[in-house]
Amino acid sequence: MVNKEKPRGRIGRGLRIGKLGLALTGSYLGYQLQNLFLGEQERPERRKSFNRKAARQIRVELESLKGPAMKVGQILSTQFHLMPEETLSELAKLQMRAPGMHPSLARAQFKASFGRFPEQVFRALDAEPFAAASLGQVHRAVTREGQEVAVKIQYPAIRKAIEDDFKLLRSAALPARLAGHATESMIAEIERGMLEETDYVNEGRNIELFRKQLQPLDYVRVPTVHWNLSTDRILTMSFISGEPLPDFLTNREPSQEMRNRIGVQLVELFHLQIHRLHTLHADPHPGNYLIEANGTIGLVDFGCVKKFSAGFIEIMQAFEERVWLRGEQQCQRMARLIWGPGILVKPRLAREHLKHAIAFYEMLFPGLTGSRAVVDFGDTKILKTMFRILNENLRNKTVNPEFAFYARAEMGLYNLLHLLRARIDTSAILAKFESNRGAAVHNGEPA
Amino acid sequence: MTITRKKKARRASPRAAKPGRRAQNKERTRKEILKAALELFSKKGFFRTTTRQISNRARIAEGTLFNYFETKEDLALYFFEQELAGLTDWYQSQTKLDRAPLAEKLFAIIHRHLERITPYEEFIGAVYLRALQPVSKLNLLSLEAHELNVRYLRFIQEVLREAEEAGEIPKVGDFGAYAFGLFHLAIITYWLQDISPGKENTLALLDRSLKIAQSILKRGTWEW
Repeated sequence: MVNKEKPRGRIGRGLRIGKLGLALTGSYLGYQLQNLFLGEQERPERRKSFNRKAARQIRVELESLKGPAMKVGQILSTQFHLMPEETLSELAKLQMRAPGMHPSLARAQFKASFGRFPEQVFRALDAEPFAAASLGQVHRAVTREGQEVAVKIQYPAIRKAIEDDFKLLRSAALPARLAGHATESMIAEIERGMLEETDYVNEGRNIELFRKQLQPLDYVRVPTVHWNLSTDRILTMSFISGEPLPDFLTNREPSQEMRNRIGVQLVELFHLQIHRLHTLHADPHPGNYLIEANGTIGLVDFGCVKKFSAGFIEIMQAFEERVWLRGEQQCQRMARLIWGPGILVKPRLAREHLKHAIAFYEMLFPGLTGSRAVVDFGDTKILKTMFRILNENLRNKTVNPEFAFYARAEMGLYNLLHLLRARIDTSAILAKFESNRGAAVHNGEPA
Repeated sequence: MTITRKKKARRASPRAAKPGRRAQNKERTRKEILKAALELFSKKGFFRTTTRQISNRARIAEGTLFNYFETKEDLALYFFEQELAGLTDWYQSQTKLDRAPLAEKLFAIIHRHLERITPYEEFIGAVYLRALQPVSKLNLLSLEAHELNVRYLRFIQEVLREAEEAGEIPKVGDFGAYAFGLFHLAIITYWLQDISPGKENTLALLDRSLKIAQSILKRGTWEW
């Protein structure tokens, strides 16, 4: 790669982001010029090639920026409904490829935050990390008592760098903004989320919340926090075994039955979070799901957790109760909940959006309408439909930020199910949550 | 790797020559005085510590103290000499660093230095101020300080030469060691004023600067 080094400080990063904007504008202008000379038929192809080139440019530039700007790239890459498909394939390469701390820096940073060197605290700590976290890296270690743990160490001064970068992202031409996709409120939401992610004490609390609440699901493994070995920038957790889902699929070639079982578990896990916790493990990255040979799921990385408002939970209930069958008034209420009161000014658009949302919902839970109950997630139909609906919503600038967040996580789930090529009776799972709404106990066995 | 090891052995060899008992005793007293002085410096500060207090704490007569160190500046110079010796010995013992990229080696050297001087932060700050005076022995223009500086530069030069021989960076000559020396000084200045928790801003600055410097050297151009 050509531009590999990380520009230092705010000015360096500013120059880099500026250059990125320029490079894009440059080629965008070129593309506009070409348009003048090209016939209608050639245009889509040309546009695709522009998108691909621009995407590569974005990835290379963001990669050399590392740190927070890269995180923005990662977030944009998971918000894939916001991006042209060609951009996605490039940005996807950013995931799991965080900048590394060499052993001396990781050790120094541990001391800076914990007050003592790792060798004074642990029986052993691997000098090299085994996983990259977006704002840090994770090392395997053994405590003095002999317990196997994962130690997440944050990059030094990352919080300040994030604040600086966002000041710049606001002033410089953000590539996504060029495309008219990232609104100010979205950028603010990303910044808030990132700053929250830098506080590992908060992440530790999230882990404890999930550990407690997910206990009914005996196939889900959540780490325990070693508070005595953690700070706001160091997080020591029990070690969670298993392979990231994509690796599990390639290495183990699980049977269809196993893939279905894991799929059912993932759907249950998702709905338990929505219905009981009203909180979602919101990083749908496949690497955060560690699968064991017996199909159990290890859940890691709780930095990004979303708590939903009561209003949002109402939307979910409205879908499940299929309130649209109860007349126009209920439809309007639902549209207002999903898209905000502004949507009612455009009744035709609202009806259109709602029609699509309902059609999608019925595609996901066909059993509710009495059709064949098993959904084949190997079919790309679901992802494509969701992609299309979200794009429509975005084009009309009608998206409730909370719903966008949910959609991102939901899309993450369907992406996992698609990777699994799982065939699942989704309606049966949903029914379990409906029939005992409010009940605390839930058995994890698939129906 | 063999080159590195051989070199380290050669470098270490002059230390193997044993000094006489008299010289050994003298050196032990010097170290005891320094230890006493540093304890007082970190408690009371460099300027408020008197030679009498130092000699009391080291349990020697004040007159004897002057036989060893004429002024507090001599003591400071001796401190730096000890620090440098400690740093080079430590570096040679770090076999883990043998295979590390140059940026990590240099990071480790400065970080180790900062770790060593952490208890004496106030003292180092005071020495900095003193060193600005042209007549001070701590000023780089003084021959004593100059000698020490050359010893430091040779140490760095050796580290850089290893990277040159391994093809990690192009030839940088003596300029490389000088430039790194200035950088090292700049980092200490930054470190002295760093109020971030655990002085982590210094770590970030150190890491980024070294990585950028290495990649610039690797490509042999200044173009970003």
